[in-house]
Parts: sequence; structure tokens; C-alpha cells
Amino acid sequence: MSAGVSQSPAIGQTYEVMGTVVSFIVHAGQLSDAAVHSAITRACETLRESDETFSTWKPQSPMSRLRRGEAAIAELPPEVASVLGLCECVREASGGWFDPWAMPGGVDPTGLVKGWAAERALAELVRVGIPAAMVNAGGDLAVHGRPSPEEPWRVGIRHPWRVDALACIIEADAAVATSGAYERGEHLIDPHNGTAITRAVSATVTGPSLAIADALATALVVAGASEIGFVTALAGYDAYVISPDGSETASSGIRFAPSA
Amino acid sequence: MMKPIGRVVLVLAAATIGLVTVLSLHANAPQLALPTAARVPERKQLNTPAATPSGSNQSLVLLTRSAVGATEQYGYGALSVRVTVRGSQIEDVTVNGLQTAEQYSQQLAAQVIPMLHSEVLSAQSARINGISGATYTSQAYALSVQSALDKLHA
Repeated sequence: MSAGVSQSPAIGQTYEVMGTVVSFIVHAGQLSDAAVHSAITRACETLRESDETFSTWKPQSPMSRLRRGEAAIAELPPEVASVLGLCECVREASGGWFDPWAMPGGVDPTGLVKGWAAERALAELVRVGIPAAMVNAGGDLAVHGRPSPEEPWRVGIRHPWRVDALACIIEADAAVATSGAYERGEHLIDPHNGTAITRAVSATVTGPSLAIADALATALVVAGASEIGFVTALAGYDAYVISPDGSETASSGIRFAPSA
Repeated sequence: MMKPIGRVVLVLAAATIGLVTVLSLHANAPQLALPTAARVPERKQLNTPAATPSGSNQSLVLLTRSAVGATEQYGYGALSVRVTVRGSQIEDVTVNGLQTAEQYSQQLAAQVIPMLHSEVLSAQSARINGISGATYTSQAYALSVQSALDKLHA
């Protein structure tokens, strides 16, 4: 167990942004520590830029200006159009369960942006040849490579009712996003009627893109386990849902890891 | 010989009745939010064997470190968590103080917590690289299991 770790010591760093903390674990491979640290710095910079662009809390962010009708999409940074394009895709794919345009207070892509930003941050690391890395943006994870040749990334799914416990562990090779109403600050609105409601207590989505997985998880925790089909209909995406009665539902592509 | 025993039984019975009376009075009395984990019923927990390192006798020097997070708000109240790390393994995660905001929250907690049908995994015994969950605030991060994992790489 120690052998794999000592062959490839991991570099860790945390960065506070978007009202949460983003954790990096980076395996340097052949790269120097200096190269890794400068890549992490650039990754943090993209996170900060994403926050500056999309924060609905910052009155002067491009997203806030769009929401107030002060600017058209074409006048804003191109990332705004990209993100809203992704939102449109997930709105259609989810049958309207994810709908940033139905949020009170104007278009709100928050349910997708954090995953999108973390995915971009990971891309900064991959671009310089980092062999393995994990970016955890406040509970949504994007991973690359493997922590050691014989082991996949193992991601604990937080127990919805116990801060110190896990509901399960799943193996990840790209993105893992979880939504739930058990932490503060989540805005989970049923787009069909504008009310705050969740039919699941925790919804996890895995798949190739963290932006998409994040949005799908946001939709699924509102929609509930009975609607899991809109996730599994998408190639490469799977879901794990904990319902209010404690029952669990998982699609066949979720790879549960042994607990020890 | 019989007499003293009989008296003891009587005394016990009286004591029991007294206790029942006290308890039922308590149940009717308006309740204050009490800062004790004791009021939340103990949950059955899977005691997974702490991941037994294969070849566990390799004489690695493992440092045991322990830290208590600040008391923070969470969904139903305030709590703080103590995390103990030994070498690269989380050895213990305990809820240090749990203070739910209102009686309703305690009832809710008592009702819903045992219902997850799968066995609850204690984070301490699991070999994991990260935690996925509902977005935590910067403040709540301080007591999260993810923050304990991050300390291993700091």
C-alpha cells in the first residue's frame, strides 16, 4: 500500500474560490515540483476567472449584468455563450429538470458552472503533462489518470445525514458530481413550478464531463430516483441516488469500490 | 432473610415509579436545545476493520496527528469534528459537539439517520482520495473529511 504512494508522491493544494474550497491532488510524474506548482497556480487562476465571470453574487460580473438585462450575450466574454450552450444541452437532455432559465431572479447557470470551472482547471494540469490529478470543487470532482498504476481514484460519497460518514465509495475515471440539500447554500428549485423541492436527498452523477455531470446531478436531486432514466440515456453517464426513505438506486455503470 | 429483600424490592419499585414520573414530566416540559450528542440516539455503525495494510509490519514511522475543526453550522444545527490522521490514513473522525437548533431538528435527525439502507461506512476506515457531496461552504470545509485528506498532502 505504501509502495504506490512513495513511487509517486502527490502534491496537494487548496484554493478558496466560488464560496467554497477547491482541493488539488497532483501526481508530478517526471515533472519538477516547480512545474507542478506553476500549473496549479494557473489552474487556480482559471477558477478565479470563472468566478469573476459567472458569480451571481458579484453585481458587476458579466453574468449579473446579463441577468439584469444590461448586456447581451454577444457583448460578454465568450465563456458565457459556451456555458449557456451547455446549459441548453442539459435542459433538453433532462427533459427540463435542469433549467437555468426557470430560476427565480433570471437565468442562473450555477448548477453547471462549478463543474465546468473545475473541469477547466484540471485541463490546465493535463495540458502540461501531469500524469494524474484530482480537482475537487466543493464536492464535485474531476480526475485524470490514476493515483497509482494498480488503483483507480476512489471517491467517497458523503452520507447525507452524517458529516463523518460515507454512503459508499465509487471508482472514478473522469467526473463525479453530487447534489443534495443537506448543506447550506444550495439552490435547488423545481424548474417546472419554481418551488424549492428535492425528491432525493443526494444525487451523484458520473461521466466524462464534470460540467454536464454537475448539471445532471442538480436536476436529478430535484427530480428524484424515478427519473434516473434521463441520465442513463446519455452515453457514458451514470447515477446513484439516495431517496428520502434511505433507499438507494444506482445505474449499472456505477462501479462501487470495496470499503476497505 | 426474606424481609430485607422484600423491602429492597419495594424501594426499587418506588424508585422506578419516581423515575417514570420524572421522565413523563420531562416529556411534557418545553424543551431547550441541549448541546449534547447524547440526545441523538447512538446509531449502529459498521465497524469495518481499519484497512489492514498488507505486510503491515513494514516498520514505517506513522505520525498521528489530530485536529478539531471550528464549530460550524450545518443543515440542522452546529457541530465540530475531530479528525485524527495516522501516517496517510484517517484513523478517527468523531463528532465533537453536536448542537441542533431546535427540537424538531433532533426528531428529524433521529428519524432519518438510521434509514439509509446500506451499511454506513465510517470515513476513517475507508481508503479514499476525495469526497463527493453537496457543495460545502468555505466554513463548512474546515470540518469536512476532504479537509483532513488535504492535510495529508499539505
